[in-house]
Amino acid sequence: MTLDFIISLLGGTLRTSTPILLAALGQIYTQKSGILDLSVEGTMTVSCLAAFVAAFYSQSLFIGMLVAVVVGLMYSALMAFLCITIKANQVIAGTALTMLGTGLASFMYRVIFGIRELPPVIKSCQNLDFGFLSRIPIIGPILFTHNITIYIALGLVVVTWFVMNKTVFGLEVHAVGEYPRAADSKGIKVSVIRYASVLLGGMYSGLAGASMSLGFMNTYTDHMIAGRGFIAIAVVVFARWSPVKALGAALLFGGANTLQMRMQSIGVDIPNQLLQALPYILTVIVLLGVSKHVNFPAAFGVPYSRKDN
Amino acid sequence: MKGMKMLLSIVLVLCLAGGLFAAGTKEQAPANDALKIAVLLPGKIDDVSWNQALYDGMRKIEKEMGDKVSVTYVEEVYEVADIEPALMDFASNGYDLIFGHGFQFMEPIIKVAEQFPNVNFALGTGYKTLPNTCVYDIHLGQGGYLMGVLAASISETGKIGVIGGADVSEIYRGHESYKLGAKSINPNIEIQEFYTGDWRDSAKAKEGALGMYDSGVDVIWHSGDGIGLGAVNAALDAGKYVLSNVVNQRVLAPENVVSGIDYDWDTAIRQIIDEILAGTFNTHDDKYYWLTVENGGLQVADYGPFADIIPQQAIDNVEKARKSLIDGSLVLPDFTK
Repeated sequence: MTLDFIISLLGGTLRTSTPILLAALGQIYTQKSGILDLSVEGTMTVSCLAAFVAAFYSQSLFIGMLVAVVVGLMYSALMAFLCITIKANQVIAGTALTMLGTGLASFMYRVIFGIRELPPVIKSCQNLDFGFLSRIPIIGPILFTHNITIYIALGLVVVTWFVMNKTVFGLEVHAVGEYPRAADSKGIKVSVIRYASVLLGGMYSGLAGASMSLGFMNTYTDHMIAGRGFIAIAVVVFARWSPVKALGAALLFGGANTLQMRMQSIGVDIPNQLLQALPYILTVIVLLGVSKHVNFPAAFGVPYSRKDN
Repeated sequence: MKGMKMLLSIVLVLCLAGGLFAAGTKEQAPANDALKIAVLLPGKIDDVSWNQALYDGMRKIEKEMGDKVSVTYVEEVYEVADIEPALMDFASNGYDLIFGHGFQFMEPIIKVAEQFPNVNFALGTGYKTLPNTCVYDIHLGQGGYLMGVLAASISETGKIGVIGGADVSEIYRGHESYKLGAKSINPNIEIQEFYTGDWRDSAKAKEGALGMYDSGVDVIWHSGDGIGLGAVNAALDAGKYVLSNVVNQRVLAPENVVSGIDYDWDTAIRQIIDEILAGTFNTHDDKYYWLTVENGGLQVADYGPFADIIPQQAIDNVEKARKSLIDGSLVLPDFTK
């Protein structure tokens, strides 16, 4: 366990956690408003492609990210429409939209790029240089040598905390998730707040998708989201809808994943299959620990209608 | 009313999700008595890896044989639940030969082949056969050995790495032979290894590869598919060397991909098709078609600009090992767990 090993491990942990953290932060709004959105994985996949296509044709990473956010918003609008306006079963709608998203992205990739001799690639987000900050021993290489998406994610932890705890909108999100009828009688438009919460979640998922194709990699491949959307949903519950705890939970999962790969690499004498399962085993253990204290929003997963009693 | 709405929305969503975007097929108008071939691929035909290698080999055969064959390609048949219906579909639509390009096709092919004794099936890696099926596979042990020799010869730090999806049969053999090959050049070399447990999560493989490079590894070989793209991308970011597998991936990182192992599937495909056309396919017992260094199915990818950059000694070492594999003076142990 040298110092270099630990620096590399912690730096890797931050990178690995970023897409999960971004998606999880968005789901805090969505879940707090009373909606279980299982379409995160699909939204991330679609935006991951959208970000790449936009960046490829515009040669601008900024436009790529912007398009990913817009596409994330549009795709989650489908989810919002199904589970708020039509009052569909949220589990079914979310699962179906995830299936649709992965298939749609794969199909659109072929439609847009055709079959190429050379696979399309972009110049991905470069690691930033913070001058003297990046050169502080130990702290510098761990915290200040990453690409922009990592700092966007960290910034959004603060933004999300502020919006949820210090604004009227945040209060309204809490209200419609806990007791929509009471909120309705106070003049809060339940469906508007819920729409906004789902769309916000979609925009964060869009960024999460972009962080994979523009930040982590320099191309789009099918299945590159690889379950990170579902992990994000677990992270939210795990963190009990607190943005700061979501950061901790995402780091824990990312850290476990990075650690197991590093341990395999240096030849720790544990079967690789067991090491690969480490992040998931850890997730189950922590979930068992916190599950007693988890208070889901009272109206979680329940569509609201004025006509029902 | 509520129930009706619910039903309607579920039907709508399922319609959207189901099959609509499942797979792109490419049909060609078949000549009358052409051998009708279907190729079922678990990924994309331009993945610069596993699927592209077979596609390229098949295209070569198409050009060579002209009217004698007509080939249909289907992409993204990955889930086992999708494989059996796809096989049934082609088998009952008059296809003569169906390729299932991956280990996960084994059980479905055996099942469907029993029901369609007049249709022939070819399975890409596996161990079960019937009279109307065969297996085409790679002696990855040989490829791994050559890459180990090369990696150890060009490493300056004395640390090399290898990354794989899962330690199953041929992949495991490839990795163990890689270590053997590396140690034949430098007995004290440090070899790092990890498996992602997922063939398609390129970002995960990239993170693992970055960790290896951070710890002083300066050459990595990967035995992968989607994960290989992650390893190559890590080399691009870290400015270190990487060796590819299946298809030469220098296009992805021109300054980092020194060489690799290329699979030339056309050797195996040609043999299978020739036997079917001659009517001998179903009559012999040995149903395995191997790509090996001896038959040219496995080749060391060209060094391109690296021929002048890496030491000549490294290229000579690889060539020497390759020759001794061909003349039989070097026989690799059969690594089994």
